Amino acid sequence: MSVSNLLENWSKFRHNHPVEDKGHPDWQAYPSEIKWAMAIDLDACTGCNACSVACYAENNLPVVGKEKYSHGQAMHWMRIERYWDEDNREFPDQGAQFLPMLCQQCEAAPCETVCPVGATNHTEDGLNSQIYNRCIGSRYCSANCPYKVRYFNWYDYPSTENVWPAPMEQQLNPDLTVRGKGVMEKCTFCKQRTYTARNNAKTEGRKIHDGDVQTACQQACPTNAISFGNLFDPESRVAKQWEQQQVELIKAEQEKDVKPGNNLRGYRIFEELRPYPSVMYLERVRENGV
Amino acid sequence: MIENGFNRRDFLKVLGWGGTAVALSGCGNTSIENGKETVVSYVEPEDYAIPSIGVYFNSTCAQCDAGCNIEGRVREGRVLKLEGNPGSFINRGKMCGLGQAGVQAHYNPDRVREPLLRNGSQGETLTWDKALSLINDKLNGVKGEEIAFLTGGVSGHVKVLLNNYLDALGSKNHYAYEAVSPSVVRAANKKAYGVEMPRLRLDKAKVIVSFGADFLGAWVSPVHFSQQYAQFRKGNRPEGRGVLVQIESKMTLTGANADRWIPIRPGTEGILALGIVNALGAGIPADAVAAAKDYTADRVSKDTGVPAEQIIRLAELLKERSPSLVLAGAAAEGYAHGSQNAAAIALLNQVLGNVGKTVEAPANAQFAQITPTTGNRAALRSLNDSMAQGKLKVLFSYGANPVYTAPDALKLQDNLKKVPFKVVFAHYLDETALEADLVLPLDSALEDWGTSIPEYQVEPHLSIQQPLMERLYPNTRGVGDILLALLKQRRADEYKAYEDFYSYLRGAVVQNKAALGGAGADDDAFWNETLSNALVKLPGAAGSLSGKASAVGLTLPAPAAEVVAYPLRLIPSVSASMRDGRHANLSWLQESPDPLTTVVWDSWVEIHPKTAAKLGIVEGDIVEVASQNGSVTSQAYLFPGIHPDAISMPLGYGHEAMGRYAKGTGVNVFKILDPVFDKETGELAINETNVRISKVGNRVVVVKEEGPNGGSQLGRKKIAVKVSSDKVDLSKEV
Amino acid sequence: MGKDIREDIAWAQINTDVLKSLENPRKLFWVIIFVALMMFGVGVGCEVYQYQTGMGVAGLNNPNVWGLYIATFIFWIGMSHSGTLLSAILHLMHADWRKPIYRFAEAMTTFSLMTAGLFVMVHLGRLWQFYYAVPYPNERWTWPNFQSPLLWDAMAIFTYLSSSVIFLYVGSIPDFAICRDNVHPGWRKKLYTLLALGWEGTDRQWRNFRVTYLTVACFLIPLAVSVHSIVASDFAMSQQPGWHVTSFPPYFVAGALYSGCAAIITLFIILRYVFKFEEYMTMPILKKTVRLTFAIAMVWTYLNWVEFATVWYSHDEVAKGVLIDKATGRFAPFWWAMNFCGSVVPFTMMIKRLQTNIPVMFAVSLLLNLGMWLERFMIVSPTFSHGYYPWTMDANYWPSMVQWGIVFGSFGWFTLLFMTFCKIVPSVSMYEVKEMVYHRSLATKKAELGLEGGH
Repeated sequence: MSVSNLLENWSKFRHNHPVEDKGHPDWQAYPSEIKWAMAIDLDACTGCNACSVACYAENNLPVVGKEKYSHGQAMHWMRIERYWDEDNREFPDQGAQFLPMLCQQCEAAPCETVCPVGATNHTEDGLNSQIYNRCIGSRYCSANCPYKVRYFNWYDYPSTENVWPAPMEQQLNPDLTVRGKGVMEKCTFCKQRTYTARNNAKTEGRKIHDGDVQTACQQACPTNAISFGNLFDPESRVAKQWEQQQVELIKAEQEKDVKPGNNLRGYRIFEELRPYPSVMYLERVRENGV
Repeated sequence: MIENGFNRRDFLKVLGWGGTAVALSGCGNTSIENGKETVVSYVEPEDYAIPSIGVYFNSTCAQCDAGCNIEGRVREGRVLKLEGNPGSFINRGKMCGLGQAGVQAHYNPDRVREPLLRNGSQGETLTWDKALSLINDKLNGVKGEEIAFLTGGVSGHVKVLLNNYLDALGSKNHYAYEAVSPSVVRAANKKAYGVEMPRLRLDKAKVIVSFGADFLGAWVSPVHFSQQYAQFRKGNRPEGRGVLVQIESKMTLTGANADRWIPIRPGTEGILALGIVNALGAGIPADAVAAAKDYTADRVSKDTGVPAEQIIRLAELLKERSPSLVLAGAAAEGYAHGSQNAAAIALLNQVLGNVGKTVEAPANAQFAQITPTTGNRAALRSLNDSMAQGKLKVLFSYGANPVYTAPDALKLQDNLKKVPFKVVFAHYLDETALEADLVLPLDSALEDWGTSIPEYQVEPHLSIQQPLMERLYPNTRGVGDILLALLKQRRADEYKAYEDFYSYLRGAVVQNKAALGGAGADDDAFWNETLSNALVKLPGAAGSLSGKASAVGLTLPAPAAEVVAYPLRLIPSVSASMRDGRHANLSWLQESPDPLTTVVWDSWVEIHPKTAAKLGIVEGDIVEVASQNGSVTSQAYLFPGIHPDAISMPLGYGHEAMGRYAKGTGVNVFKILDPVFDKETGELAINETNVRISKVGNRVVVVKEEGPNGGSQLGRKKIAVKVSSDKVDLSKEV
Repeated sequence: MGKDIREDIAWAQINTDVLKSLENPRKLFWVIIFVALMMFGVGVGCEVYQYQTGMGVAGLNNPNVWGLYIATFIFWIGMSHSGTLLSAILHLMHADWRKPIYRFAEAMTTFSLMTAGLFVMVHLGRLWQFYYAVPYPNERWTWPNFQSPLLWDAMAIFTYLSSSVIFLYVGSIPDFAICRDNVHPGWRKKLYTLLALGWEGTDRQWRNFRVTYLTVACFLIPLAVSVHSIVASDFAMSQQPGWHVTSFPPYFVAGALYSGCAAIITLFIILRYVFKFEEYMTMPILKKTVRLTFAIAMVWTYLNWVEFATVWYSHDEVAKGVLIDKATGRFAPFWWAMNFCGSVVPFTMMIKRLQTNIPVMFAVSLLLNLGMWLERFMIVSPTFSHGYYPWTMDANYWPSMVQWGIVFGSFGWFTLLFMTFCKIVPSVSMYEVKEMVYHRSLATKKAELGLEGGH
């Protein structure tokens, strides 16, 4: 507990979010060699919900049941949104569209600045961290999230009936906490997996290769719509996708979007609000003439 | 840290199980004195298992008929999560949500744990020995034709034992029943291509026209087809990006992903297929021309409700882009003339020259005894007839829940009561198990041994199912072990060499190692490697398609006239999670929103907004859906993806037993289906039920993911962005 | 206008009148205490239930993560600005008419802050770990997050509360001395002796007193402004539509003053009647208070309209959406009620006849406060229900009975505190009233002399 520590690191404390012309702040650990990012191809996404169920399995998510779901208290870290075309046609003759929405792990996350106790921060590998045992449940982070992807434990699910009735608690993943009431939680890009992969790579004295770690959602997705990996590794699929789509991480408006007419389909949601999200979506493509 | 009711004792008990099992099965490495260990460490894993690091064991998923290969992450003696096996030919490392929920089926709190014998309306536990000897007693003096075995689709060595057992009993009554199955299409395929399930190459097609085949959702092998679909949509393959057209009366998940979704009057799919044949014009065989002669675009448009220009455009599209692939799904086949519908659609494939290009022959698997016996609905009808006539004295049931899935009109529950002795092999006390005289508790799929061959084969292979952990309850048994025990009652000499099903299986596989690519290998090494992969390629010559999609004798009935008392057509829908209701007790699946309506934890009645407006129904109104054979009430949901003359309700809900999550959740649509059957195959035609709906009077708020105000689509423009294919260049994508 | 106070009231009379209010209370007092206790009990019961079961019983969900707790928290903080306005700001402006009424206003400030503090706790998901927000030495070397407006809230309110308590207490010392000197021996005399800190009323003490009082007043004013500006920055510093408006801090401060003044009118009328303080809480003073309230009402109305205007000409679609949803969506009745109570009802205070009409002013003051509570509700909920992300727009949220119960209980708590105060601390500042009478009589004499010795 050191005032001098605080004062020394004040500039880093203040500038812990990237700024467009200054790039990442120069922490000792940052820019690190890893920045986890994701790309989701909405054209390949069929809306099957496999990713969402896989997330429940991997991350000890509680099933809240019908009544709590009706109050809007569901706990799905990854939710699949379904959209129709907006023009009130009689039939949706171009089908529907599905969008998996999860924590965007923003580089300049609106949630990080507002937590009164500092329970949400940025890690050196580019994730937005949620520290369960520090959280006092003020829910300001969720209030400030533009995507509303933070989920609060409204009840104590471990002790609630029929959430994990014996022997279902044996399925729980021991690599991460089962959260009690009053704490906020959200997608962590399967932190328990990335952490293990980084440790393994470190033990073996090598860098992380693309494919060493898959998030649960990515691993399940039958159409490979989700790609996940290290954005700073030029060989990784996700880095190649971001580059090919000309989407840069620390930009509120991409150069390609300044003029209309580019034939690329990568975009980020609410980019103009400057949270610098780490998830890029690829627009769904539909042929109109058939 | 787990802060719940999971107490230390249980945890240690499980470890102890794992550890003790290893200690007992290990040879000679005792801790203190040889054979006299009094101190056994709680964690005695195998050498390769380090506590806190998961070990992956391969097995086979049993959640649906696709038979994907899986790997289970096992830590400290218990399986935690399932992933796809990257070496699988079917799913290549991918998994669907239903498969993920396999762990919940394994750890389900409502599993049957003990053999149960009926005493009045209660079930009393009894030992396995007593149960098995009771079966033996009941079979005494019973003729072969009075015994029946009801199963779902079966394959692999369980099928071998099953057939041998029936043979030992002198019975030919094996009823393979699946409530939801593409059985009409199978028959049509057999006629048209010579095989029931040809290999489909979605990834090679330029256009897919699917008549209600929900290949991304719940049809045949969704994970496999989804992967092909992903290839199909890529812009950098030689065929270019593919186009999907879905034609059906009620939008399925696949329909939601179509470039063009065409709503069609229920039952008229065959008419449309012939209309397209007609519109193709030149270059098609004479008999096809003759069959399609009368199906001009205008006439077809009137019959089906599809605009004439759309029909012509579709024909042009198919002509321009070849090869294409035309599929017939549940929507097309679920009619009394379902076979004709399927035949017309198969004709289209032939006419377009797709046979041999996107419709390929599956390889002929060599071992006929283990190839799959597929389930269908005609089997249920014949079983029901037998029971009604009092012909059966003993009925065995495994992997089927006919009391739940049979329409009330068949009066199956009553007919069941005419069978004096019923044995049900069960995971749950579901509706059928509750009718049983003897319930035999099964190992879960993650505790059991087995082999299987899925109906839809990519490369011919045998999938191995191996336990991913010790059984949770000491008194459950694997189905193979039960059958083996029953066989030993009849043919003791033949089977006495096999201690259990595992040794039988091992013996059977190792015996054929030469054919399975293990010639010259050491038995143990071969078996270990087989187990390690949990699948082994089967030798099989490349097959050929021999059928002929013939237009001869193809007659399609006119579109059904409206029945005044029952003006709407009920289209039961099959969702990827609920299927025929066998997994309704898995809470993840109940909580996972239906992709199209986003409803959770309940049934619903999908009504087109126009129809609803006419009837004065708004979302949440409780409506009664009544057919001639029953009625159900559920909440109304306004859904634009359905034909205005139809309504749809999901199958798989409304269990009256089975478990805490299934019981009372939603309503059972199977019950009210009209007993209409396909003329050619005798399959239950599930889309032939006419209903009327009326408001019951109260209204609820529909519990769904999209939010209570009907799903705000404001995000369409900014958030979920769609782009037209001519404005984007996919060829350079990664 | 009339005189604020008669100039011929004897100082002894003042003592008697005010000390009378400290006598053993009548039965009605105990009845009201009982009712207040019951109300508070309801609140406590709801909180215990919520503490044990989880915040879900409040009916909150994703995205409506904040509800009545935050709204009522801001409401109570707002109420607290009355005291500062009356005692500190008007003191610096030498507005004598504040003298009979500032004491209970100050008390109202302190108790409002104490009530608001409850809501901060009640609103937390893990209330038992609220101390993480306090920078205490810990083995993990962690500090709370100084970038967070919620943390500034905590610090600002604590500072404000402690300063208000000091201000209230210090200002009451001469009065405690009067009480000490005039009550019968017993527990009361012991209490007042303790509280009076040995006040003799010497010249030196008075001079020190004046300086202290003035100093505290001087730093209390910026504190008051900053506290509610910081509370406003809970919203303004976020980026949610409907919140991210720079006019929020002054808007909130104006709303707070408004709310506080309206509460002063309410309590004025009550105390005047109950303790028969007609001589001190006179009609002219009521009139002045009412007119002050009206002025603040107009300031608030202006800032309210500024918010509409900025949304309108900003072309910010999302913020416009929130505003339109407020006016036409499911909260519309509350929004219109808020505007009516906040902007239309104050015009009754322009009517001279009504300015001293007790029943009307009582009703008006309650309506104004209702409007202000609705304003806080309107700030919190619509932005959640109609925020950036359309998929999560939720038309189904409604606060549960637990939330209402705790809000209800907070009024009981406040009443308990205030009523206890009324019986222990003189609710009219005796020494200041004496000063007022003195100045009045001086002024009258001067006027008379001036008239007589005119030439």
